[in-house]
Amino acid sequence: MAIRDDFEIVASQVRTAVQRFALGLLMIAAFGAMLLGKADTVLVEHARVLALDLASPVLEAIARPVAAANRVIADLKEFASLREENARLREENVRLLAWQTAARRLENENERMRGLANFREGPEASFITARIVGDSVSAYVRGALLNVGRKAGVASGQAVVTGEGLAGRIAEVGENSARVLFVTDVNSRLPVLIERTRERAILAGDNSPKLRLSLLQSVAGVQRGDRIVTSGHGGSFPVGIPVGEVVETGEGSSVRVRPFADFSRLEFVRVVDYGVTGLVGGSGPAAPAAPPAGVRIR
Amino acid sequence: MRADGLLAMLDRWGRYALPGAVLLFFVLLTLAPLRAPYLSGALPLLPALVVFQFSLATPERLPGPLLLVMGILLDLLLGGPGAPVGVSALGFVLIRAAVVNNRRYLVGVPFLFQWFGFCLLALGFVALVWFFTAFWTWTAIDPLPALMQNAVVIVIYPLLAPLLARVRARDPLNVPDASRGTARPGETTS
Repeated sequence: MAIRDDFEIVASQVRTAVQRFALGLLMIAAFGAMLLGKADTVLVEHARVLALDLASPVLEAIARPVAAANRVIADLKEFASLREENARLREENVRLLAWQTAARRLENENERMRGLANFREGPEASFITARIVGDSVSAYVRGALLNVGRKAGVASGQAVVTGEGLAGRIAEVGENSARVLFVTDVNSRLPVLIERTRERAILAGDNSPKLRLSLLQSVAGVQRGDRIVTSGHGGSFPVGIPVGEVVETGEGSSVRVRPFADFSRLEFVRVVDYGVTGLVGGSGPAAPAAPPAGVRIR
Repeated sequence: MRADGLLAMLDRWGRYALPGAVLLFFVLLTLAPLRAPYLSGALPLLPALVVFQFSLATPERLPGPLLLVMGILLDLLLGGPGAPVGVSALGFVLIRAAVVNNRRYLVGVPFLFQWFGFCLLALGFVALVWFFTAFWTWTAIDPLPALMQNAVVIVIYPLLAPLLARVRARDPLNVPDASRGTARPGETTS
């Protein structure tokens, strides 16, 4: 009996102590979570993927009506400028038809040249179309969540493109969800080519709408309006996906690039599955064996 | 009688689960692809608003461990390579503690006082998250988007707070005059 009373007294004392230091304990727990995340990045990665997979069905349910509402608003806006839009499109159509003729001619020519030179094409890319179910946009991150994952063949490091150009790359993959890191994110570094001069550079994001071109050989060679395309270096991206165009060639060696993809109205994107051979660079006979699934390309 | 008991029990459970459910909803809403120019940037701060608002009236229904879990979930979902997981949890816990310890200035006082209190706490929350994210990733992060976020959520507060006050079981603004400014945790009538 006495033991039981003692136990109850101790228990109540513990309870009071816990209540008194509740704030301290909670703060320590939060700090602990932060430290754990820093120490064991793989664990956090797994937790992120799990959270993503659990949240994505709910998000998909939210995303559809929101997308529908957005579309109605966009339709109404377009309705107001229908006449101007039509005139603009007609003009653009004429210009594009001229380009189409040129492109057909060049394609035929290319084909013949390749035949003559016995050129071997790179691996064929296939596409996985995905719906954007969540925005992962805050003051610190620029990204989005997709409703496709490992089951559909999505893997880390794959390129994500829109109709206009490159949007970003896959950063995390769950079973049925994936997170895209946009090219505008501060963590995004992309090997690119300047289309006109074929000069290599690195395109870096800094969370602002415009990208920064760095590691150029010479700033002087870059002109406003130059198109920037992916260079394919690093192997996980196809060559020649348009990324953006140079809009600022200021002094102080800062070249700013406007991405072609319109991140404010993304709804569907395509994930470029470039095949595993793309990851190890080249498909020659000496290429090492395919890496196991889940190899990260950073 | 039995049906009444069951209903009462459901009612009680509903009341207890409501703040947590609303918080979870806003944590998930953070990721909703709203394409409103300023609003979508400020969405990650709305859970903090919910924590503040419910801590005013019913802090016992948002226990610390729940805030911890919600904060960690928010950080996991928001993502960002290398971003600290748990910083929102720390912020939520601190907001709750700050509100509970300063009830006398925040509960049963004119709305402007509450708003001002929220401004201070939201600024503290944004500063905390910004500092830890910059420190953790060891990069100089432009504080301007974070401050913009803060400004938007402060403007949103008067729109959202009355709604949440309706959702919540007890409204601190209904506290009788006699006990205004002196209400203690969980107390709404003198």
